[in-house]
Formats: sequence, structure tokens, C-alpha cells
Amino acid sequence: MLTAVLLLLSVSFANPAVPDALPKTFEAIAKAADQAREADRLNEAIDLYSKAVRLRPAWADGWWWLGSIFYEQDRFSEAEGPFRRYIALSPKPAPAYAFLALCEYETQDYAAARHHFELWSKAGSPRNDALRDVAGYHWALLLTREGRFNEALLLLAAKAQKLGAAPALTEPMGLASLRMAFLPENYPQQHREAVWLAGMAAYYCLKSDFPRSDDFAERLLQHYGQEPNVHYFRGTLLRFQQKLDPAAEEFQKELQISPGHAPALTEWAVARVEVGRPAEALTPARRAVELDPQSARAHYVLGQALLETGSYQESAHELEIAKRLAPESSRIRFALSNAYKRLGRQQDSKREQAAFLALKDKDNVLAPLDDKLKTPRGTGRPE
Amino acid sequence: MTTPKILVLLACCCALAIPVVAQPSNPAPAGQKPATAPGGPSTFTQLSEAAAKAREENRNDDAVRLYRQALKLEPKWKQGLWSLGMLLYDKDQYAEVRDLMRRFVAVEPQAGAGWAVLGMSEFQTRDYSRSLDHLQRSRRLALGDNKDMAQAIFYYVAVLQTRFEQYDDAMALLMGMRKSGSSADLLTEPLGLAALRYPLLPAEIPPDRKEMFRMAGQAVLADESQRRDEAEKLLSGMTAAYPNEAGVHSFYGVFLLNVRPSDGIRELKRELEIAPFNLTAKLRLADEYLKERQLDEALRLADEVLKLDPTNASGFLVSGETLVAKGDLERGIVALETARKLRPATVRTHWDLLRAYTSAGRVEDAKREKEEIEKLRRPDAP
Repeated sequence: MLTAVLLLLSVSFANPAVPDALPKTFEAIAKAADQAREADRLNEAIDLYSKAVRLRPAWADGWWWLGSIFYEQDRFSEAEGPFRRYIALSPKPAPAYAFLALCEYETQDYAAARHHFELWSKAGSPRNDALRDVAGYHWALLLTREGRFNEALLLLAAKAQKLGAAPALTEPMGLASLRMAFLPENYPQQHREAVWLAGMAAYYCLKSDFPRSDDFAERLLQHYGQEPNVHYFRGTLLRFQQKLDPAAEEFQKELQISPGHAPALTEWAVARVEVGRPAEALTPARRAVELDPQSARAHYVLGQALLETGSYQESAHELEIAKRLAPESSRIRFALSNAYKRLGRQQDSKREQAAFLALKDKDNVLAPLDDKLKTPRGTGRPE
Repeated sequence: MTTPKILVLLACCCALAIPVVAQPSNPAPAGQKPATAPGGPSTFTQLSEAAAKAREENRNDDAVRLYRQALKLEPKWKQGLWSLGMLLYDKDQYAEVRDLMRRFVAVEPQAGAGWAVLGMSEFQTRDYSRSLDHLQRSRRLALGDNKDMAQAIFYYVAVLQTRFEQYDDAMALLMGMRKSGSSADLLTEPLGLAALRYPLLPAEIPPDRKEMFRMAGQAVLADESQRRDEAEKLLSGMTAAYPNEAGVHSFYGVFLLNVRPSDGIRELKRELEIAPFNLTAKLRLADEYLKERQLDEALRLADEVLKLDPTNASGFLVSGETLVAKGDLERGIVALETARKLRPATVRTHWDLLRAYTSAGRVEDAKREKEEIEKLRRPDAP
């Protein structure tokens, strides 16, 4: 009813002036389009580029600029078509994959967006820092939505220096930290405070400002200590600070709330191995592998525990599975090298040692984004 | 329907008005294909007229269908984009409204109401960063004399500023709304969130602490209306009911500094036990110690603030004032100059510098600060 009232009221809009003489040939139209774009007359540029690509559909640059202007105006569904045409025509379409993926993210075609982000990263030409930042960021959001939380956190961590404790960063970090498979724009609103507190705790932990990280983490526990994933997250923060026993306690608390929490079982097992009690790690590690057979980290810690308790053959088997799941993990290669050595397989041990040396510098969470983006899909990289 | 939505719809009634006879932004090409089945309206003119008629007769579903058809023939038809947007906003179809408004502002970039409806739609689709940008843009453009529209925009901007941790800006906007006659009920929770410095929207308030934010908001409103006793009663009740929550003692403490400073100090100290990184509490405590000439304590707290937040203008201000008070004119001036660089529109910093330069015999610098103060006091100052 109110809208009906609105629609009865009248004031006219001014129509834009139409130029007297429109260019006729493709060359003239294309030139006029470029001039309009350069002069920031974007609507005119859209009209002219549209005409130009109708006259010459193989004009890749025309599609590029058309897509770019629509993108600039947040008209994402309209930008998708031109970027697709550009990709089909251009010999080096890499940046367009990223722009197309960003448009698809905005139009909620998430599977296509992920596919095009992957094509962009495989093309190995990120174009510039700004595109890398925005594309890497949105890719991280999609990874979180898919439940690939550690990979998402790796990408987000790379933004920490530039973005600081901005909500744009801490909100997705909070979601990934609490293992909530949502986007910032669609998670249940009642979780907002928990996501904020977790994001801030994760951010300050990453910055090695542990007192401030602990402050936010304690506030999170104060109100949400009975929610799934909260104690697990607290444990990961403590582990990051090398507080291994308190971390193990938090993982155990998580298991009381969520008995089938494979990452908590895994991390608890890791903590046992790290404090020199590998025998205590065997049961939780086996349970973690059972619950999540695709987790490289679970196989790794089981392999490590078996290695340190003298079950070399079984250890090598688990580590080989871990290696298959996460071929770029240096620590798996190191452990496997040791297992082969204990089994007297010197050649295999040397090969794995060489792989370890080649990969070891890439395990840093702040390693260049390019390396991380080239990680094959479906790998459960142990961080 | 939420109160802000009612405001939006009321506001839009007067924000942009639509001609009854539609004119396409560019003439439709000759020989255009009919858009509907034979017998129905088919040309752009027929469709736009039929859409307007349906809208006038409150046949909104028909109007929506006809506007969509007309816009297929003439995608840049401003009146159609706007009218369809309004019809769909009323039906809560915010994603489609957002896309229509993006097209609308592309062809009508000076239309403040267009940016406003775009920002409000983005708020509903939870694209908060763009929403805030576009609502702020609408504030800079003409909205006509529509007070309801302005109030709706202010509301959304203020709650978003709180979510983006711009608490002081949000508080100023909300208090301005109250002075302009917005209902206290609408403002209570947003004020409570900004006062306690929680980056949440009202819809995101945890149910177990809804009352805490309401009490804080009511206290702000009572204090603003000079009902000090009522404000204190609310704040005292809030700290008693929620003694371990971050922000509560800080807010009460700041209030008490103006009433009973020693009680204010006690509350701020309590806040720092609960939330040791509450910079507001540290700064207010430092400021109070400065007033009481406890200069070492004031400087310690100001330094702590700057260690935690090296670009905190207020931290440099208090640090500079304390150093000057301690007789360290040189370092005091450096700190004050940093505060001025970080936040040039703060009159207090310029006064401090005026006095400090005068004490240091820097006559020209002092004169410049005096001129700056006069500039900032003009009615047209930013």
C-alpha cells in the first residue's frame, strides 16, 4: 500500500543527452568507447563497447573492458558474460578467471567461482597485488564454506599484515577458526559475537600478541564454552603458543562436548607426541583416522606415534597415506624418511629426505600466496 | 515488519517520484520484437503504461511482471528500475532490489535516494561494507526535504558504524537522531551497543545479554536528557546484573568521573581487571590521573595505550599533555604534534600546542595554532 502511494508521486528524470553524430565503423566505435572509458563516462563506454563487440564479436579487448566496467559498477551478473567471452578469445586470460570468479561469488554461483579461482591460480599470473588480495580473500571465504578451514586460514593469514584487525579479516577468520562452514553474509546471526571474539583471538595470535589473543579467547570461553569447536579452537591457540599441556586439556574438553571431533582427536594425539608420550597418542590417532580417513594430519600423527613406539612397518604405511593426501608437506616427508631408515630402506629414506629439504621452506603459513594457491584440490595439508 | 523497514518505505514515498507516462532513456529500436503474447501489451510504451496502471490499481504482482517485461526492452529505463525496485522492496526481495538499484545508480549517479535504497538492500542481504559505503554516499547527495528518509539512512549508518567499530561516530549520529525526534525505543539497543563498544547489530545481540544493552542505551538517553539520577540507577543496576562483562564498568566509570571521580576511578580499574586491553578505560583513567596530577600513573597508562595502538591520537594527546605537565616540553610537543597529525580537527590538541609553543617561546607556531582554533570554531568547520 505504501509503495502504491509512492508510485503515484511524480517528478521526471532527465534523460542523458545523445551525441549528435554516432560513430559508424567498428574502428570509430572502438576508439570512441576507449575515449569514453578514459574520460570516466562509463555508461557511454558500455553502450559503445556493446556496439563494437556486436560488430566484431572476436574483439577480446572490447569484452574485457565491458566486463571491467560492469564489475566496477557492481553489476556482477552483467559482467560475467563479457569475461567469459574474453576468456574464450584471449591467449592469456588468467586475470579474467579471477574477475569471473569474483562475479560468480557475488551472484552466488559458488561452484563456478571456485573452479575459476583454481584456473586462475594454475595459470600462474595473478596480474597485480590488488587482484591477488581480493581474489585470494574471496577464495578463502569459499574454502571456509566448503569446510576447508585450514586452507582458508592460510589464505587469510597472508592478509593480516595489510588489513590489520579489520572486521573484513577477523570475521572470516572467526568463521574458519570455529569451523563454521558459512560465508560472512549468511551465517546465523546469533553466532556473531562468538565469530567476532574468535576472529580477534586468531588475529592477535597470528600477530604473536598472545596476551590480547588470550583475552578474546577467554571471553569466547566465558559465553560459548559449551558450544562445539570452541575448546578445540582454544587448544589450537595454546598449541600455537607452544603451551602443549593446556592445549591438550582443551582438546579433551572439546571431546567431552563433541566425542566424534576428528580434528580434536588428531590435535590431542599431536600434543601427546610432542610432549614425548607417543603411546598415549595411538588410541586417539587411530580413532581420528577412522573418523576422517582423508585427513593427512591424522595419518601423519598416527604414523609418527607408531614410529616412536617402534611399529616401523605400520608407521611407514600410515605416512605413505599421509604423503599421498598431502604431497607438499615437508614434515610428512621427514617422518617417512625416518620410518624407511628404521626399516633399512636407505634409498627410499634418502629420497624422502631430499623431498623434505626441497619443501621445508614452504610450510610457513605466511609463505607467498602463489605457492599456497597452487596446492592441488582435495589435499588435507597438515598445518 | 521491522521499524526501520517502515521508515524506509515511508521515506521512499517522497524520496523520488515517478512520472505517470514513462519515457525510455533512449528510444527503443524500430521493429523491436513483441515481449508478450499477441493480444497483451507488447511495445515498450504499452508495457510501461500497463505497468503504471497496474501499480496505480494496487495490482502489484501484475505491475512487477509488466515492469520486468518493459525493462527487458529498455534496460536503462530509470523510472522502471525505480518503480520495480520499490515494489520488490515491499515484498522483501532485497537481492533483486539491490541489482536493480545498481543499474539505477549507474544511470542516475546523483540520485541520493537511489544510493540509499541500494545501501538498505545491501544491508538486508548482509553486504555490510558496501551498504555502509553506499548509505554514506547517499548522505552526501541530495535527498530533498525528506526527514523520514534521512532518519532511516542515519539509523542504518549508525548501526553499521557500530559493527565496523566506529563507536564514537555511531553514538554522535544516534544522539543526533534522538534530537531530531526519533523514538527512544528504536535507538535504545543501538546506543547500548555503541556505548558498551560491541561490534554487533541489534539483531545480533545475544539473548542472554539483551537487557544489558537496553540498560546501557536507556542510561545514555537518560544522561542526555539531564536525568542523571535515572542514568546512574540504570548503570548501577547494569553493573550489578552483569559484573563480569567487558565494557560495563568502563561505561559506568566514565559516567561517574563527572559525578564522583573516585568512584569513577574504581569502576575503570575494575574494567581493566576484566578487560585489560580496553583502551577507552585506560585513556579515561589516564586523563583523570592527569587532572589529579598523578602524572607518573597518567603517563604509564598513556604509554600502554600507545604500545597497544601506535596510531591512537587520544593516546598521544594525553601523553603529550602529561609530558608537558611534567616539564618535558620537548617530548610533550612531539607527542602533541603527532596527535594533531593523526586527528587534525581536535580543538583540544591545538589548545595544548598553543600553550606548549608559547611556553617554549615558539611564537610563530603558537600563532598558527591560534588561527587553526579559530578556523575549527567557525560554523562551517568540518
